[in-house]
Amino acid sequence: MASIRFDKVGKRYANGFVAIENLDLEIRDREFLVLLGPSGCGKSTTLNMIAGLEEVTSGKLCFGDQLVNDIPPDRRDVAMVFQSYALYPHKTVYENIAFGLRMRRTPQAEVDARVRSAAQKLAITHLLDRRPSQLSGGQRQRVALGRAMVRRPAVFLMDEPLSNLDAALRISMRAEIKQLHEEMQTTFVYVTHDQAEALTLADRIVVMNDGAIEQIGTPHDIYEKPATIFVASFLGAPPINTLDGEIGGASGRPVFRCGDVALALPPAIAAPTGSKATLGLRAEDVTLDPKAQDDVAIDGVVNSILPIGSDQFIGMKVAGREFFFRLAKDQACAIGDRVRLAALTNRLHVFDAASGRSLAGG
Amino acid sequence: MSAAGPAGATGHVAGERHRRLRIAALWIASLIFVGYVTAPLVWLVSSSFQSEREITSKPPHWIPHEPTVQNFAAIFAAPKKDVTYETRRAADPASGGFIPSTAANLLPAMANSLIVAISVVILNLLVAIPAAYALAKIRFRGRDASIYAILTTRVIPDIALVVPFFLFIRNLGLLDTLASLIITYLAVTVPFSVFILTNYFEGLPDELDKAARVDGCSRLQTLLHVYVPLSLPAIVAVILFAFLASWNEFLLALMFTQTPNSQTLPIIVASFTSDFTISFSFINAAGVLAIIPPVLIALLFERYLVSGLTAGAVKG
Repeated sequence: MASIRFDKVGKRYANGFVAIENLDLEIRDREFLVLLGPSGCGKSTTLNMIAGLEEVTSGKLCFGDQLVNDIPPDRRDVAMVFQSYALYPHKTVYENIAFGLRMRRTPQAEVDARVRSAAQKLAITHLLDRRPSQLSGGQRQRVALGRAMVRRPAVFLMDEPLSNLDAALRISMRAEIKQLHEEMQTTFVYVTHDQAEALTLADRIVVMNDGAIEQIGTPHDIYEKPATIFVASFLGAPPINTLDGEIGGASGRPVFRCGDVALALPPAIAAPTGSKATLGLRAEDVTLDPKAQDDVAIDGVVNSILPIGSDQFIGMKVAGREFFFRLAKDQACAIGDRVRLAALTNRLHVFDAASGRSLAGG
Repeated sequence: MSAAGPAGATGHVAGERHRRLRIAALWIASLIFVGYVTAPLVWLVSSSFQSEREITSKPPHWIPHEPTVQNFAAIFAAPKKDVTYETRRAADPASGGFIPSTAANLLPAMANSLIVAISVVILNLLVAIPAAYALAKIRFRGRDASIYAILTTRVIPDIALVVPFFLFIRNLGLLDTLASLIITYLAVTVPFSVFILTNYFEGLPDELDKAARVDGCSRLQTLLHVYVPLSLPAIVAVILFAFLASWNEFLLALMFTQTPNSQTLPIIVASFTSDFTISFSFINAAGVLAIIPPVLIALLFERYLVSGLTAGAVKG
């Protein structure tokens, strides 16, 4: 059993700083769960609490049915991969990988078999006699993965394991980690601040902010149905365009108004007329359409164009805010053009201005 | 000088001359410094192989004209000889063979010094390594206060501690025992050892600590399998510091030791100068014996010495 349950878990440091407050979270057996959030949101603390490296100061942390609050890391059957890799500089690659097994008094024949099979899987067999200082970043990362793999732990923890790699390597390692999860059939908890990593790897994503959970859901839910303005603005590149305004009602259908912008909202939006709201509109959720109806139209003058190969980003001022939209590159426009865009109204996100929570029905 | 680049060439020549001058100056300064450091040592070794008469000759002989091992022979023979007023008077200080009245205590004192120094080194490591690990890697309540408390003890000069130490040792009934020296030397050396090691451990990444513990190490195993092997330079610095501090210590030893049972080398060597007649050659031979253990230790750990001596100062 490698399900993990946080029951009103809190973490308060000796200096009074509260890193985590009242965390409730259930991590399922064999799930790939990603903790996503900006730095300082408590995601690493959460991971360290699972590992036993940080003390739980209130609430209950259970592995399966077993309360593990006071169980030290060496008796938790977890393995961890660190951002800095944390390889032992004085040991060879072989000994680095074997160390966890040796500490558990695994017989030498088995240690050797497991180290070699892990090394083969990670294509680092030729490096086994080297020391970490003689390896490149990507190689070190593989050794760190190998060190965690050979243990065959019940829970596999990763703390921003790809952050120190260059962009190309990061993408190929992502695929390898995903594959590793399939092969190992064990629970993975992965911490990152990189939304692309989270969206590609996760079975479920937990978005955290300020020591609390903003939303838990599949990558699709998190992206398509953000529960809060924070989640909406944390995911997506460029960040979601936001506009503060208020809900108006015209002929039974809610309308979002701000200055000269008035957009019809999906009927499911549940908010009384006149309430303050924040609109979220993702860059890709518009099309260039000179004949768009007024209640879906956004007008503006293009003030910047950023081609990104497959597409182009155009920047324009909307109701005083700088908005970025993503258009196909064949949709020709030039700086200074006055354009009319049609928003895909069923993809608009509306949040309560005070609480930041989504006003989408349900 | 070429017409193409007179300015550049002049600059080049000037630069070359400047560089040579610098190298020459560095050489001279280094030689003076090396001479300053080694001259007393060379004289100590050289004179220990000279007779008393040769030592006092003018000008002094840097290389003995009539080398002799009689001083060393006297040291090793001393315990067997009965030193009385008569036998001493019979020996002529000028021709050598003169033995200070406390000469027989020299070898036992050396043994005492070794016992004390080695005990202090071992206990220093046993106390300071775990303490430094805890201070560097475990965030416990009162951690900062502990570090300051430990450091504060180092701003008190030893002489201010003599009286409290004396009372403490006397009340424990440890006067004139090696234990009194071991305890007080620990009090003086451990804070500094903890300081050196804490700094060094702090320079090692926290993630190594976490990795080891997730890999199945207890705190103690983390320390032994990861931190100790990575801190050898700092640990060697601590060994040298604790050994030399104990080996050379004079003040506390003078206070707490009264008989050859517990007297250490510096006390006995010093006593040679308070005899009726002073034999410089004998004292110098004793001095040569006294520097052998520290030199051996320095040679043994030479590999780590340079990086270790800066360990306290430079992080990471």
